[in-house]
Amino acid sequence: MLEWLFKYPPTVFLHGQLVLRSAWPRWPLVLSVIAVGLALGWVMRGRRASDTSRTVRWRLPLIWLAQWTMAALILLLLWRPAIAVSELVPQANIIAVLVDDSRSMSIADHGSTRLQQAAQALQGRWFASLGRTFQTRVYRFDSSLVRLPGPDSALIANGPATHINAVLNEFASDTASVPVGAVVLLSDGGDNSGRIDRGTLEVLRQRRIPVHTVGFGAAQVPQDIEIESVALTARALAHSRVTASVDVAQSGFAGRHTSVSVRDGEKLLATRDLLLGADGATVSTELTFDLPDAGPRLLRFQVAALPGEGNARNNELARLVNVEAGPRRILYVEGEPRWEYKFIRRAEEDDAAVQLVSMLRTTENKIYRQGVKDALELADGFPTKPEDLFGFDGLIVGSVDAGYFSAAQQGLMREFVNRRGGGLLLLGGRQALADGVWSGSQLNDLLPVTLPMINGTFHREPARVSLTIAGADSPITRLVDDRAANLALWTKLPTLMDFQDPGRVKPGASELAQMQAGGRTMPLLVTENYGRGRTAVLATGGTWRWQMSLPLGDPTHAVFWHQLLHWLVADTRGQLNAQVSAGILQDDGHVQLLADVRDRNYLPATDAVVNAHLIGPERLQADVSLRAVPGIPGRYQTDWTAPAVGTYVAELTASQGALSAGRDTIAFQRQDGVAENFHTGQNVALLKSLAAETGGRYWSPDDLDGLAHAIPFSDAGVSVQKFQDLWNMPAVFLMLLLLRAAEWLLRRRWGVV
Amino acid sequence: MRIPGPWRRMMLVTTVLCAWLWVDHAHSQQDLDTPGDAGEKAEFYWSRLRYTSADEYSGAGRRGFGYGYSFSGWSRDYPKADRQFLEALKRLTRIQMRSYEQVVDLDSDDIYNYPWVYAVQVANWTFTDAEAKRLREYLLKGGFLMVDDFHGTDDWERFMTGMRQVLPDRPVEDLPDNDEIFHVLYDMSDRMQIPGEQYVNTGRTYEKDGYVAKWRAIRDDKGRIIVAICHNMHLGDAWEWADMPEYPENFSSMAFRVGINYIVYGMTH
Repeated sequence: MLEWLFKYPPTVFLHGQLVLRSAWPRWPLVLSVIAVGLALGWVMRGRRASDTSRTVRWRLPLIWLAQWTMAALILLLLWRPAIAVSELVPQANIIAVLVDDSRSMSIADHGSTRLQQAAQALQGRWFASLGRTFQTRVYRFDSSLVRLPGPDSALIANGPATHINAVLNEFASDTASVPVGAVVLLSDGGDNSGRIDRGTLEVLRQRRIPVHTVGFGAAQVPQDIEIESVALTARALAHSRVTASVDVAQSGFAGRHTSVSVRDGEKLLATRDLLLGADGATVSTELTFDLPDAGPRLLRFQVAALPGEGNARNNELARLVNVEAGPRRILYVEGEPRWEYKFIRRAEEDDAAVQLVSMLRTTENKIYRQGVKDALELADGFPTKPEDLFGFDGLIVGSVDAGYFSAAQQGLMREFVNRRGGGLLLLGGRQALADGVWSGSQLNDLLPVTLPMINGTFHREPARVSLTIAGADSPITRLVDDRAANLALWTKLPTLMDFQDPGRVKPGASELAQMQAGGRTMPLLVTENYGRGRTAVLATGGTWRWQMSLPLGDPTHAVFWHQLLHWLVADTRGQLNAQVSAGILQDDGHVQLLADVRDRNYLPATDAVVNAHLIGPERLQADVSLRAVPGIPGRYQTDWTAPAVGTYVAELTASQGALSAGRDTIAFQRQDGVAENFHTGQNVALLKSLAAETGGRYWSPDDLDGLAHAIPFSDAGVSVQKFQDLWNMPAVFLMLLLLRAAEWLLRRRWGVV
Repeated sequence: MRIPGPWRRMMLVTTVLCAWLWVDHAHSQQDLDTPGDAGEKAEFYWSRLRYTSADEYSGAGRRGFGYGYSFSGWSRDYPKADRQFLEALKRLTRIQMRSYEQVVDLDSDDIYNYPWVYAVQVANWTFTDAEAKRLREYLLKGGFLMVDDFHGTDDWERFMTGMRQVLPDRPVEDLPDNDEIFHVLYDMSDRMQIPGEQYVNTGRTYEKDGYVAKWRAIRDDKGRIIVAICHNMHLGDAWEWADMPEYPENFSSMAFRVGINYIVYGMTH
C-alpha cells in the first residue's frame, strides 16, 4: 500500500536525494509561495474585518492554511520535484546470496529447520525476479565461503562455526574485481564472535555494497537451558579453593529445578541445585571447589538437561585454568613467640602451594628463622634490599611494632605491595596495628582500615565472629561449599580469646568478617587491593583456638589459613607475567601472547629479550620471539596461530643481558565447533546492525518481494543515477484532494466563510 | 597404759617419718608471695598437669588435694619451681606470660586453652580412658607435653604404661644432639645429667638406677616433637633450688636453658 502511494520502495527515499528538475531557478518558487500566502491572507483579512465574532476569528486561519498549502504544493509540482537515486544497471551487476549453512541452521523453530526455510525462500518469486534483472550468485557459508552452482544446491547445516565477519571479508576479497550490486545474507545471525568488525564494515562501505539480511529462527528458543558465561580465575595455586560464577539462561523451564556441576575430566569437583528463573532471565550461581594438582586444567561446567530440551549441547561450557604448583613464598615476621605463629605454621605445613618463611623475635637480640632456603637467608634480619624482599610473594606482619622497621624498610614494604604486587597481611597483637603505631608508618595508606589513634586496642577478652555479606561470597572465608551452611558455621566457631580494634574500614576495602566483643561489633578481616598488590588486616592473634577447640581432625583452621594465604599471593606475579588474549580459542587459532617483564627491582624492563616456546597437540613445537609494545614500558607481545584443536602450553622466558628476567608458563586451548551450540536464538540485533551499517535492510522471510524491489536502488557495482519524478505519485494527488475536500467540508460545516 | 616395745618402736618410726615428710614438704613448698599479675590474662601460661597418681587410686581413689594438702606426684616442686622458672623465662625471652602458674586437668576441655603443659613424677600417673583420649587429642591437635623427674628402669616402665594408654603406637626416640629442640634458642649440644636436690647431700647426679640422662621424645606424623621426655633427671629441682647456694649453678643454668628451649620449641613447631 505504502509503496503504491509513494510509487517507489522506501530504499529510494532512504538513499535518494530530493531535487527540483525544472530549469527555472528556485527563488521564484519561494517568492511565489510567499506571495500566494500573503495574497490569501489579504483576502482573509478583509473578511475578518467585516465579521468580528470570536468564532470566525480562529476559523479563518485554518481556511487560509488549507488554501495556502494546496497552492504551495501545486507551485512545487510546477518545479518538477524528483528523487535522484542510484540504480543498478540491469545485467551488469552481481547479486550475491549468502546462505548460512552452519549447524545452528539445523534447529527447527517453526515446524521446519532454519535451513529448510532459507532453501524455501530461495525458491520464491523475489529470487526469480532478481535473476531476470541481474546475475545472481549463491554461496553457502559457515566459517568460510563456498560458491554453489545454484539455489537448488544441497545444504546440510553441518558447519561447526559461523564467522560472518570472516565470510564477508572473504567475499569482498574474492569479488574485488567484479561489480557487486548487493549482498543478501540468509542467516540466523549466530556469529560465534557475536559482532562484526569495524574493518569489515569499512571494506563494504568503501565499495558501497549494501548487505540485506534475512533473519531465520525465533529470537528465543522455546525450550532451552544455556550456560551464558562462567567467570573463573585464569590462574590459581594448586589445591586452592576457588569460586566460579555461572550464569544460566533458559526459556520454557521457568521455576524448574536443575543442577550445576563442575568436573575436572571425569572427577566431580562440585555440584549444586539451581532454581531456574523467568523465561529469558539469567540466574547466577556460584560453585566453590578445590582445584586439583598443578598443570593446565580444563574444567567443564555443566547444567543438567531437562526433559524436552531441544539443544543440550549449550548446557556445557569449558574453562581453562592454569593451576600453578608454587610454592609461593611468604615472609612472616613475628615480634614475640605466640601461639598464633605456631598454629599458622602448622596449618601451612600441609599446603604445598605456599612456603612460609618466618623470622621470630624470641629474645631482644635473637631471631629464630624457619623455612629459610639457606643459612644466609634473613641472617641479618628483615631485608633491606629490594631484591631480597621482592623475592617473596607475600608478607605477614604479626605482633611487631612499626618502629622495629627502619624508614627504608617501611618504604620497601610499601613498594613490595605497590610495585612488586605482593600481598601484605597484618595480624592483631600486643604490638600490632594501632598499638604498634602503624598509623604513623609509611604503610598507613596501604592498610584497608583507618587505625584508631590510641593505644590499648588489643584485649585478651572473648570475641564472637561472624561473616559479613561480602564475606559470605568470598572464597577466603568459604569454609564449606554451601553458602548458608558456611554462614552458620562461622557463627559457631569457637570464641576468640583476644581481639584488637582495627578502627574503621576504608572506602573501597572489603570487610569479610566481623567480631562482637564487649557489646561492640568490629571488623575482624578486611581486605583491599592496593597498587599492583593487596593488603589485609586480621584483627586477632587468636585463631589458633579454632584448631585446639574444635574436634580432632576438623579442618576449619587449616582451610581458613590456606585460603587466606592463597588469596594473599595467588595474584603475585614474578618478573615475567605471561598472558594470552583468550584462554579458550573458539574456532579460530589466532592468539596473542603477551608478557609484562620487570627487572629485579620490579621496574618495567624495556631492554629485555623475550621468547616463547610453545608445545601443542601432535608433538607440535614452536619458538617465537615477542617484541616490545611501543608506549607500554615492559610490555612485549606477538601473534601466533594454533593450527589444530587441542591444548597448548607456552613457556616464556625473558633476559636482560646475561641476567634472567624470569620465566612463566601459560596454557590455552583451541576448540572448534563448540560456540555454534550457544546463543541459538536468532541474533536479530546483529543482522539489523549489519544491514544498517552497510545501507541495506533487515528483512523477514515473509517480506522478500520488497527485497527484490529494493535491491536495484543501490550505488554499488555498475550503477547510474536516475531521477524518479514525484509529481505523479498517488500520494500527491491524494493530498491535493484531501486539502481541497477538507476546506470544502470546513466551509460547509461552519457556513460563514 | 604401757605400750608394748614393738608398737613403741613403730610409733617412733612413724612419728619421725611424718616429721621428715612435713619438713620436706614445707621446705619445698615455701610460702611464696602471689605475683602482682596473678589475675592477668596472658599469651603464655606455665601449665602444670594435674593427674591421678597410682597410689591415690590404690587409696581413696581420689585426685590429689593439691598444694599444701597432698603429697601427690603432680605437685612435686610446686609452685616454687614454676615461679622461679617463669622469672627466668620472662627475663630471657619476649614471651608475654603470667608470673603465676596454671594447673590444668584432664577432666575438662579447659586444657585446650593451654597448648604447653609440664608434668612431673610421671612414673605414677594414671589415666581413665576419657583422660587418655583427651590427652591424645590435645597432643595431636598441637599441644606439647614436657615430662620430668622420674628415674630408673622401674619408673620408665610405669611411665610408659600411662604413655601407651595415651599414644599406643607412637615410638619413643632418643633425641640426637642436633635436634632442633636443642637449638631453637640456645645451642645445647653438650648437656649433662641434671640432678635433684639430693646432689647437695650425696654428690650423686642420679637416682635409683637412672645413671645416664635420657633426652627422649615422641613425635607426631610430621616429625614434630609432641612429648619431650626428661628421664633420669630432675629439672624441676634445678629450677626450684636455683637460689640455694649449695646447689651448683651450672645445673640450674642448664635446666633453665632446657626449659626455655622446650617452651620456644613448643610455641614454634
